Amino acid sequence: MTSIVAGDPRVAPAKASRRRGWWRRNWVSLAFLAPGIIWLLAIVVYPTIATIRFSFYDETATKYVGLHNYASVFSTDAILTAFKNNIIWVLVFPFFVTFIGLMVAVLTERIRWATAFKTIIVMPIVFSTTASALVWRTIFDLDPHIGVVNAIEQTVSDWFRAPGAYPLNSAIGQTAASLASFNATGGSGGSVISKSAVHPGDTVMMGLTRISSVTLQTLGAQTPVAPQKMKGGIAGLVWNDFSPMQTSNTTTIVSDEHGLPNLRLSLVSSTGTSVASTVTNSSGGFSFSHVAPGSYHVEIVGSNFQTAFLGTFWLGSQSLTPVNGLNQTAQSLLSVPLIDLAMIISYIWIWAGFAMVLIGAGLAAINREVLEAAEIDGATDWQKLRRVTIPMLAPVLTVVFVTMVINVLKVFDIILNMAPGSSQGPATTLALSIYNDGFTGGIHSGVASAIAVILFLLVVPAMLWNLRKIKG
Amino acid sequence: MKLMSTLTPAKDRRVVALAKRLHLSKAVVNVILALVAVFWLVPTISLLVISLRPEALFGQSGWWKVFTAPSQLTWGNYATIFSQGFTSGGVLDSLVTSLEITIPVTILVALISSLAAYSLVFGSWRGRDMIFLVIVGLMVVPLQVALIPVVQLYREMGNLFGLNPYGTIPGVIIFHVAFGLPFGIFLMRNFLTGIPKDLLEAGRIEGAGEWKIFYRIVLPLALPAIASLAIFQFIWVWNDLLVALVFLGGNVHTPLTIFLYDQTRSLAANYWIVSTGAVVSIFVPLIVFFSFQRYFVRGVLAGAVK
Amino acid sequence: MSSVTLRELTKRYDGNDALSLDSVSLDVAHGEFICLVGPSGCGKTTALRMIAGLESVTSGEIEIGDRVVNDLSPRDRDIALVFQSYALYPHMTVFDNMSFGLKLRKVPKDEIKTAVTDAARILDLERYLDRKPAQLSGGQRQRVALGRAIVRNPAVFLMDEPLSNLDAKLRVQTRAEIARLHYRLGATMIYVTHDQVEAMTMADRIAVINMGKLEQVGTPRELYDRPANQFVAGFIGSPSMNFVPMQVESVDDGLRVVSAGGDMDIILDDVDSSAIRRAGVSEVVMGVRPEHIDHLPRNDRGLQLRASVDVIEFLGNDEHVHLNSGDHELVAIVDARTPLTIGDSLTLSASSEAIHLFHPETGVALK
Repeated sequence: MTSIVAGDPRVAPAKASRRRGWWRRNWVSLAFLAPGIIWLLAIVVYPTIATIRFSFYDETATKYVGLHNYASVFSTDAILTAFKNNIIWVLVFPFFVTFIGLMVAVLTERIRWATAFKTIIVMPIVFSTTASALVWRTIFDLDPHIGVVNAIEQTVSDWFRAPGAYPLNSAIGQTAASLASFNATGGSGGSVISKSAVHPGDTVMMGLTRISSVTLQTLGAQTPVAPQKMKGGIAGLVWNDFSPMQTSNTTTIVSDEHGLPNLRLSLVSSTGTSVASTVTNSSGGFSFSHVAPGSYHVEIVGSNFQTAFLGTFWLGSQSLTPVNGLNQTAQSLLSVPLIDLAMIISYIWIWAGFAMVLIGAGLAAINREVLEAAEIDGATDWQKLRRVTIPMLAPVLTVVFVTMVINVLKVFDIILNMAPGSSQGPATTLALSIYNDGFTGGIHSGVASAIAVILFLLVVPAMLWNLRKIKG
Repeated sequence: MKLMSTLTPAKDRRVVALAKRLHLSKAVVNVILALVAVFWLVPTISLLVISLRPEALFGQSGWWKVFTAPSQLTWGNYATIFSQGFTSGGVLDSLVTSLEITIPVTILVALISSLAAYSLVFGSWRGRDMIFLVIVGLMVVPLQVALIPVVQLYREMGNLFGLNPYGTIPGVIIFHVAFGLPFGIFLMRNFLTGIPKDLLEAGRIEGAGEWKIFYRIVLPLALPAIASLAIFQFIWVWNDLLVALVFLGGNVHTPLTIFLYDQTRSLAANYWIVSTGAVVSIFVPLIVFFSFQRYFVRGVLAGAVK
Repeated sequence: MSSVTLRELTKRYDGNDALSLDSVSLDVAHGEFICLVGPSGCGKTTALRMIAGLESVTSGEIEIGDRVVNDLSPRDRDIALVFQSYALYPHMTVFDNMSFGLKLRKVPKDEIKTAVTDAARILDLERYLDRKPAQLSGGQRQRVALGRAIVRNPAVFLMDEPLSNLDAKLRVQTRAEIARLHYRLGATMIYVTHDQVEAMTMADRIAVINMGKLEQVGTPRELYDRPANQFVAGFIGSPSMNFVPMQVESVDDGLRVVSAGGDMDIILDDVDSSAIRRAGVSEVVMGVRPEHIDHLPRNDRGLQLRASVDVIEFLGNDEHVHLNSGDHELVAIVDARTPLTIGDSLTLSASSEAIHLFHPETGVALK
């Protein structure tokens, strides 16, 4: 048997033919892989590296500027606002969506129509975030004729505090007392009460001022008529004591003044109790009949002036935290715009189904006998949930949570579509900033690249963590 | 007499038995979940109803009034859309554009992922697992990071080859495919490891080449995984806004997401067109979803990473 | 420690016609170790779970001590259950697993500690108190499951095939440990198994269940010596009893029982004769245990058969010999030193006491 020594001419051809053989055997397999690899290199790998590079260059991408762009990022109010909003999203959304997903997944185990229910909850994932944002924008609309939320708020508000026929203008801080004119003064509980006392058989006149002509027109106010005396009763008139023709208020009724209809009145005795009530007619006249002898005041009750429902501007950027008076940067960092809350609610509607499906799968994997053992050990349903089920679900819960954190770091569509123009700035996020700075208006590709790199750095650890959990 | 207890799987018996014993709280649970279900349906129903009401009513009375006045419902808005036909910038045109983007992306991702996964599972060259890990690692990259350079890349291609994909549908497709590949390869590769190598050996012995084996043996077996991937990819691309905005922003023909977005920019929102457009945009993925429900859930479970 | 009484316990699952459990009545004395045995699906686990309160009762009553517990939830029944799969809490340490029930009942911490360490000592688990179930072997996990039950000091211990997931050697070891445990604690134990060896070795009494019905209850000896029917006779004992259908013939001095090939016959003693006459049958199923067949000719009464050797299984001290006699196959156990080869023609016998006679249709024992 001859032995082969290195350098032996017999060695080289064998190696070469082995390599040729390797190619021949594997070229098809490598050809299969090639399209994918090339695609990824071209559109994912190279651009990522390029972006990192861009972040260190100026806007024209020719001059090296080191960390200048990053410095800009942390000193631009708009971008700091974006950071703040992302923080709000990350702090609020993943927790609540996981929580709701968990509650729903647990409860769904007990019902027979679980499949139908799950389908309903999961469906919104299938809608584009754009379409969902539009739907929710309508729901949160300020106008109670459009937005369901404000419609409900109005119904509830009106039920507790029905608006009066003469609502005060709260925007200018109007009070009932400011409406009091002739023989009238502000009373308790937002009412207006007559200055002079009246007795059965007297007439009384009271004047209110600053009533809008729109209100008068809506209520069909007529020309006032002087009240006639009434035996054993008290008759009177409430009129709008303001005439454009006269310069000062007088006690006489001028021709173009109007009586005030639909005013709820109360006859208040000297002890302060109400003994009768009535409503003014379309000329502002009223009467109380069969009044016992005594001294009384006429009260125009406060409910007449109840302000109308104002509506909550859910889509606006008014802050839930007290930030008035702080400087611009501090405000950017500390305010919590209301629209963030509205958008988070919408986003929960979209993604809770995802959490529910994953947690549901985890629940199904739990050995029923462990729960039976807990029951025998003496655990109530709640104790079983808290001390056995949820700890056993911990891995799934964290995967869901982290996935939602990653999702929310990149949130874009919903803000772009749900926030009206005035709220876009206060509600912006990092992904949105990249788009704005990179592709709209004045292009700042250096800064946009820097934001992108920062976003990348925020997202990467979370995704790697998740990947490990899923593979393991 | 049959052995009844062997007919009912033990687990089902226990769950049903336990559920029955919690009889009282079951009613409460049903009520709670019914309320939750109603709450969840309200937004979707509101959209449908708004699209089925005349524009004029929009600001005047809430869409919920329709339950007391069903005569408000009309197909008018949809009729208007269809009468518009395929004029660019309209709903139907955008629908077609969305399809033009989504379908090729889905097919390409499915195909290229399967090919790559095949190579990674059945190839006989070393380093397969390494490369797979790197590809899976790429799932980590958010697509925002690649936007600016790719726009530039497209411009370079325009300078070199005279074909600038920027502002074209292929430009969007190329980008979407790239970012669909890591997840697609992940999914397909994991599925293919479950296929026994013997099947391929049998094919090789019969004289089939690699392509034939891929096409005739592996691909048919991989259809469930491809279905999951396809659905997920389809819905993801169909609903995308950012990539479409970047690459097709000012275009004549834009997908539905951009169409809807444009409508919201105009201050006097034309709700009749916004709502009908939104319904149309929802309609397609809903059909996909309901047809392939099984695969969808599998995709969600695997797609926890995305 | 409590007694347990089952009265006409019946279980039907929704949508099924047949009953899982059919009118089973059983009295378990307090401190007794009773085994519920039967083939898979016979209803023994169902019965156990009903006693535990994990399955509802269709009809009948369950009493623990003096209380009827039908409507009580498991946590109120003062029972402990050792699951076949152990059902340990995977996220808790061994200590926490065992103390969970006590913690829920707000037992003071030091009492918990004593109870758990005591149980851990008995079960040799002291070293593992800080480990989680995933870090334990099968046998150790099983002991934790036992420990969890012991610590609760329940009125009744319920065990659902606790040894079936262990390998053979560990099974034998743990069998003895459980028996020791029972002796030490004096607890009422209801033990479910499909393995009759476990039942025979551990139980004070055995309840044999088949297809939801209680076939027989008795001590291991009673079931072995005097099985009430063919099912119990065939279920108890390993290798199982040989059954041969035989004909009753009238002869001058009485009755004779003969096999269809004529190679086996029984000379009946008085007890057996009167039993057959009473039953009024012309056919009978004979049962005889392999260990009772001797490689000897008959004395004057009893069974005698001629058979040829088919298979010989050498087991060290004994040989299990598979025989063909006419159309019938039997197994006999003989001393391993007997010189035998395949094909040998043998004459074997069994005494009258060792012969069981069963009704050909109902399977009920005729003696």
